[in-house]
Amino acid sequence: MATTDPASEITAASVRPGGELLVLLAAMTPEQLERALANLTTSFPAEGVLVASPSALPADSHPPLRIVAAPAANASWTLTAADFASAHQLADKNKAAAILMLGPESGGLAPSAIRALANAVLTAPTDLAVPCYELPPHAGLVNSAILYPLTRALFASRVRFPLAVDLGLSLRMAERLSGAAHRLTMLNQGEAPLWPINEATVAGFTIDQLDVGLLRAQPQPAGPDLSTILPLVAGSLFSDIDAKAAFWQRFRVLPPARNLLSIPEAASTDAAPDIAPMLQTFRLAYSNLYEIWSLVLPPTSLLGLKRLSTTGAADFLMPEPLWARIVFDFLLAHRLRIINRGHLLGALIPLYLAWVASHINITASGIDPESHIEAVAAAFEAEKTYIVSRWRWPDRFNP
Amino acid sequence: MKKLASATDPLWYKDAIIYELHVRAFADSNGDGIGDFPGLLSRLDYLQDLGVTCIWLLPFFPSPQRDDGYDIANYVDVNPSYGTLDDFKRVLAAAHERNMQVMIELVINHTSDQHPWFKAARLAPAGSPTRQMYVWSTTNQLFEGARIIFTDTEKSNWTWDETAKAYYWHRFFSHQPDLNFDNPAVIEEVLKAMRFWLDMGVDALRMDAIPYLVERDGTSCENLPETHAVIKTIRTAIDAEYANRLILAEANQWPADVRPYFGNGDECHMAFHFPLMPRIYMALRQEDRLPITDIMAQTPAIPDNCQWGLFLRNHDELTLEMVTDDERDYMYIAYSADPRMRVNVGIRRRLAPLVDNNRRRIELLNSLLLSFPGTPILYYGDEIGMGDNIYLGDRNGVRTPMQWSSDRNAGFSRCDPARLYLPIVMDPIYGYQTINVEAQLSDQSSLLHWTRNMIALRKLFRVFGRGSLSFLNPANQKILAYLRDLDRGDGTHETVLCVANLSRFAQPVSLDLSSHTGAAPVEMLGYVPFPAITEAPYVLTLAPYSFLWLELQPAHAGPEF
Repeated sequence: MATTDPASEITAASVRPGGELLVLLAAMTPEQLERALANLTTSFPAEGVLVASPSALPADSHPPLRIVAAPAANASWTLTAADFASAHQLADKNKAAAILMLGPESGGLAPSAIRALANAVLTAPTDLAVPCYELPPHAGLVNSAILYPLTRALFASRVRFPLAVDLGLSLRMAERLSGAAHRLTMLNQGEAPLWPINEATVAGFTIDQLDVGLLRAQPQPAGPDLSTILPLVAGSLFSDIDAKAAFWQRFRVLPPARNLLSIPEAASTDAAPDIAPMLQTFRLAYSNLYEIWSLVLPPTSLLGLKRLSTTGAADFLMPEPLWARIVFDFLLAHRLRIINRGHLLGALIPLYLAWVASHINITASGIDPESHIEAVAAAFEAEKTYIVSRWRWPDRFNP
Repeated sequence: MKKLASATDPLWYKDAIIYELHVRAFADSNGDGIGDFPGLLSRLDYLQDLGVTCIWLLPFFPSPQRDDGYDIANYVDVNPSYGTLDDFKRVLAAAHERNMQVMIELVINHTSDQHPWFKAARLAPAGSPTRQMYVWSTTNQLFEGARIIFTDTEKSNWTWDETAKAYYWHRFFSHQPDLNFDNPAVIEEVLKAMRFWLDMGVDALRMDAIPYLVERDGTSCENLPETHAVIKTIRTAIDAEYANRLILAEANQWPADVRPYFGNGDECHMAFHFPLMPRIYMALRQEDRLPITDIMAQTPAIPDNCQWGLFLRNHDELTLEMVTDDERDYMYIAYSADPRMRVNVGIRRRLAPLVDNNRRRIELLNSLLLSFPGTPILYYGDEIGMGDNIYLGDRNGVRTPMQWSSDRNAGFSRCDPARLYLPIVMDPIYGYQTINVEAQLSDQSSLLHWTRNMIALRKLFRVFGRGSLSFLNPANQKILAYLRDLDRGDGTHETVLCVANLSRFAQPVSLDLSSHTGAAPVEMLGYVPFPAITEAPYVLTLAPYSFLWLELQPAHAGPEF
């Protein structure tokens, strides 16, 4: 995987011969759509760009852009299998050279960032261009706690946002994702998230991560309910990891570390959230869900949780290796279907809240949030042997 | 002249293989659903074939059986359910004919509340010698420093007796009043009971609950000097009148606190090493040798004529008294997922269920039992991997009938199954149709055959019972490696290298054996020569849960590697 510096200048792309860039917009509100189109016009003032949107667009509203219709799509805060299938279909139909998929909040991205994503895939050999957003502290923590460290440890990828909704795709990347989407559609899971990083890594494709600056508003599900979000994304990622077990269980070399992102000063001065409700949920779950946890977690982890359950709020710190093992053991339990997967992932939520409380405590002590997230990811990497051995020999008689 | 025992070597217990059994649970000869001495007699050949050299009989005395016989109502007779004194004598003689010694229980800390001594004491005037056979008080505030042992059932160590109008002291159940060893008459009565059995030819006495004999206010009432004085008195009486006998101390204490029970070789000959046992399980589960090496480092040297008693499981719970709070939490989580598996401060499970019935784990733990410094004590049924029944009360789950065959009642008894003293284990994994002696005797690969072969192997090497122990310190923490060495006294040594893999995965290990350069290791189970030891690190690879016993022979012209 290659990583570029932040895109600071708009430069003309050496477009792959034989077609235009296809920009596929997500389902958006009219306001979001207008911002996105305006942004595209700024981003691509000269080149011919093909824009597809599930929303009805006036054909001459933004002259540099050529508008085509995209299949109707459900509004989603993640890219789904159906989105990738549509992207490939449209690109093939219109003989596009590459694809840029933009999410509902892409109107807030800098034109240079959008241009950089496009350039990366229009210019060989990058197959997947992914953004690295700057987020306010305590935002995107499901990603920081689970998605990023898992993807990094198992797929040897430093892509910070594996579930980003703004992506650049080469045609072969789009084709591969379309194939993956087809498999999910056949299973009646067309609305499930897809994991482009995992697909690209398995295919041996090139991934380019680009810093795109501050994302002021993040895509949100209609009802931002943790009990829905976490099982959805974690369950999807767990399934994908299961499907690619033969790949990630081989040794992989992690690319060099990137420079840590800087946190916007204004945001970092925000008061730390109150962790009391999180700890209350965790402690309650320690009583009520212990039986389920004991089916999933080995004694050492259960002992660690027991200690945490009696730790006061001020001292509440979840050791990174403990968290890594918890996630790995839930991943394994998901694979083995030890209990109903819905119940399993529900039982992960209080543990995740415990991690969040710990993260908030750590960052409140002056440690840069990104440093802590990197430490968590490093713990996942260090514990990779743990999950590989547990996966291969899922004996419950373990430490 | 001293009365001789069946063994001719005064240190016979150092080389012994002890087998713990309950007469009630072993074999029923008369079809009343309760094991008995004639039944045991009929199974002595089995024990001899297994390689057992000493039978430890749990209490078989007349008793109300409210604590599985540890509540004794008469020290000098046999519970009629088990037979008669003559039946016992026949077993004793038959065991001796087979070169097996016999150890019985001397439960002297307490009696049953149905013992005539206690019945008389309740009625006797306060302060009278009869009353003073037991520990009485008008207040229950005395000896407050003493912990409660049976925490599940007892709230105090004192119980009010309405007849005596006083509290009586009991460290265990309230129906087991403690004898008062401050009263010389008690010691005299204990010695009388002891002589009764030793005169008959009993070889060994297991002294139950030995740390609690004497109480003093302001103390924990455990391990007191006065208690040691009582033990010395008993030992002196034995040494004066008998030869080649053994006292085994049950002192569930930290090693440093057990050490005084050996005295200067003038108290107990043997003592159980209680803290080692849970740590073996801990090391296995954690796949880390530290719990074992740590407790062994805390284990003091003992006099030359003394010996540790080692065990993996016994008739009681897997006690967690001698572990730290964190270790206890871990053990509970790791080995007793179901709360019914717990009792008092421990886990009431047998060996095989504790290790999820994994044959390799069972073998590994037995290899430690048989190669660590001390005398191994096997619990009946563990040689075939018997299971337990956690739905039975107290510790009865590990005291179910021996499983001899797949016949009715597991071949234990011909009675109506409803009449059995406890139900036979019948679950699909450990049930008697699957796990039984007959089946395993006919299967050359069975655990029973393996155990028999290992016992036989151990008996070929005195170093296991009498040699020193030194741990090696390889970088791989999942490997436990140690040298056993015995100076034969003729300038030669018997040296064995034991290497055990505590992990469920294969492990490499590099051992520093440079102090044995030139020695030729020979794998002991198969007599397989291994590469000679040089100054270079000695590299081995061990399969999951495997172990190696290598005899370090002097350099010889063996095969080249």
